Amino acid sequence: MSTPDDPNLPRVDPTAADPTAGAQSTGGQQPSGPRGGQTAAESVQPIRERLRSPGGGAADSHGADTRGSDVRSGDFHQTDSRSVLTSHGRDERQLSGDSAPVPVAIDRQTDPFELSRQKSSERLVAALFLLSFVGTVGFVLTYFLVDHNFEASGYTLYTPLLGITMAAALGGIGAGAVVWAKNLMDDEESTQERYPFGSSPEDRAATGTAIKAGLAETQLPRRSLLRNTLLLSGGALAVLPLPLVLSFGPFQRKEQALAETGWITGARLIRKNGTPVNRDDLEVGGVESVFPDVPRGTKLADSAALLIRMRPDQLEILPGRATWSVDGYVCYSAICTHLGCPVKLYQQQTHNLLCPCHQSTFEADHGAEVAFGPAARPLPQLAISVDDEGYFFAQGDFKEPVGPSYWERK
Amino acid sequence: MTGSTSRRTFTSYAVLLLALALVGGLYTALAPSSRAQEAPTADQSMLVKAGRDLYAVGCSTCHGLNLQGGAGGPSLIGVGSASVVFQVESGRMPLAAGAVQAQRKDPKYSIAQTDALAAYIQTQGGGPQLPTGSLTDGNLAEGGELFRLNCASCHNFAGAGGALSYGKYAPNLAPASARVIYAAMQSGPESMPRFGDGQLSVEEKKAITNYTRYVTSSAQPGGNDLGKAGPVPEGLAIWIVGIGALIAGTLWIGNRA
Repeated sequence: MSTPDDPNLPRVDPTAADPTAGAQSTGGQQPSGPRGGQTAAESVQPIRERLRSPGGGAADSHGADTRGSDVRSGDFHQTDSRSVLTSHGRDERQLSGDSAPVPVAIDRQTDPFELSRQKSSERLVAALFLLSFVGTVGFVLTYFLVDHNFEASGYTLYTPLLGITMAAALGGIGAGAVVWAKNLMDDEESTQERYPFGSSPEDRAATGTAIKAGLAETQLPRRSLLRNTLLLSGGALAVLPLPLVLSFGPFQRKEQALAETGWITGARLIRKNGTPVNRDDLEVGGVESVFPDVPRGTKLADSAALLIRMRPDQLEILPGRATWSVDGYVCYSAICTHLGCPVKLYQQQTHNLLCPCHQSTFEADHGAEVAFGPAARPLPQLAISVDDEGYFFAQGDFKEPVGPSYWERK
Repeated sequence: MTGSTSRRTFTSYAVLLLALALVGGLYTALAPSSRAQEAPTADQSMLVKAGRDLYAVGCSTCHGLNLQGGAGGPSLIGVGSASVVFQVESGRMPLAAGAVQAQRKDPKYSIAQTDALAAYIQTQGGGPQLPTGSLTDGNLAEGGELFRLNCASCHNFAGAGGALSYGKYAPNLAPASARVIYAAMQSGPESMPRFGDGQLSVEEKKAITNYTRYVTSSAQPGGNDLGKAGPVPEGLAIWIVGIGALIAGTLWIGNRA
């Protein structure tokens, strides 16, 4: 691709590797002498130009002239032998391969080799490591010496103290390492080519042989019974997903899973602990969460209901619901018709039932109709009666689906 | 050898048990009975009289000289002593100003004065009362379950309170004393439903009271409890403060020196 003598291409300056050239400019603080500056620039600048224009570095045709305007002053300080040597590394990599251009690595804008800065960075790293040490000691001391009920200004501080000291112990080392890497180490970027993926040809050949040998061992060509039954079972297996797919469409089951709950005719109203609710149990202004007395009744999420007792004269009975309530006892589904949150915030003065999720408010004294909020329908009412012993039972399921609306809802 | 040793051990245990039973039985027989039974009727009537005087000065303006109520306040006939304990001990009564809901304040009456008022109101039509004995010796685990079932929908699972409709709210339970908590369940003040003894037994209400005191006064091992409002503020804190700190740290590491 190129010869080392081509003036447009990066030139490996033999003098750059000379330690004296480096020594000339390691002072860092002052601008380097003309020779040192040139050395550095010649070894760094052309590479950069060439990286920007892989075609051949035409931009570098002016040599030192463009260099003066293009190279940041900071670059002149990096002319110790180390950076020059790494520049050689870049050179060779670039010259030896003809792969795609590597993105330009922009060197640090500040001088990492500035002595005072190095010194302060070193001190900072050391301080962070010491912080880690203090954190570890503090953690152990906290663990053994601080009472776990230790409080200050109202907060229990034992766990936070453990957390803070552990954060210092782990974070101190981590932060120190980062500062070390950022401020003290070289920022040289290097690239490593990927190895080709895939197995070696030998491995591939071996695998192919093994598969063929295995196939021969099955004796499939000879054993036609096995082959045919295998084909039959495999073909049948292909039909297996068909019912699953069809059940989304034409063969949808007609059962009303969403429209039915666990309430059946005669099911007693029981509490979460399984005891039935008697008509003498609740005070006026009391509420009770009730479930149907059926198997797994208290686990049926769609069957949760709220039994409310108010004075009989406070309860407005809607047309057609005269027999649905008993002596001021009224029972509604406890699942919001908006998005299905539990509606159990009963305010006994206003008889409002509030849903905590979106503030839908239902009038429990008036058929649980919506007084406020995003719910569109009243809470379904459960028709209840009392038996001879005074225990409540359901006259049947809710007359309409409970909970949020859905497409097939009638 | 072993047989005689074990027999001797057994005998000593039996003697110990017998002695314990004897001491316990003697104590039960001889020790003074509980304070409530001990209180003579004369003290009780003095208490009622003191309560009537307090009522006439502090409460009758709104509730009427005969507890019949009026424009300023409801009738107190039959509200019971539990209601008095709740309203007066929590400072809600006397009311500071007409608002949508009475607010907790520093109580105006001492515990003794509150008891006197409660005794007086109890004589006027009866009503729900507090049980005798400790209110906080209930089963903590059972109280937690009952709290989550009956109370948490309004008062939050940790008793931090919550909003109701039209400016009302279920108050934070942290400042409430055991008496006030029990009295609230017993009397059903304002928006709160009433939980009679038929619904939640005395033992169950004591359990709830015990749990409420426990959950609102126990230490927060993690430091700030973020209002005990649950996953929303905790998630916000994690996402904004925690993840924000992580992003800042990542940016710092990736940043050039």
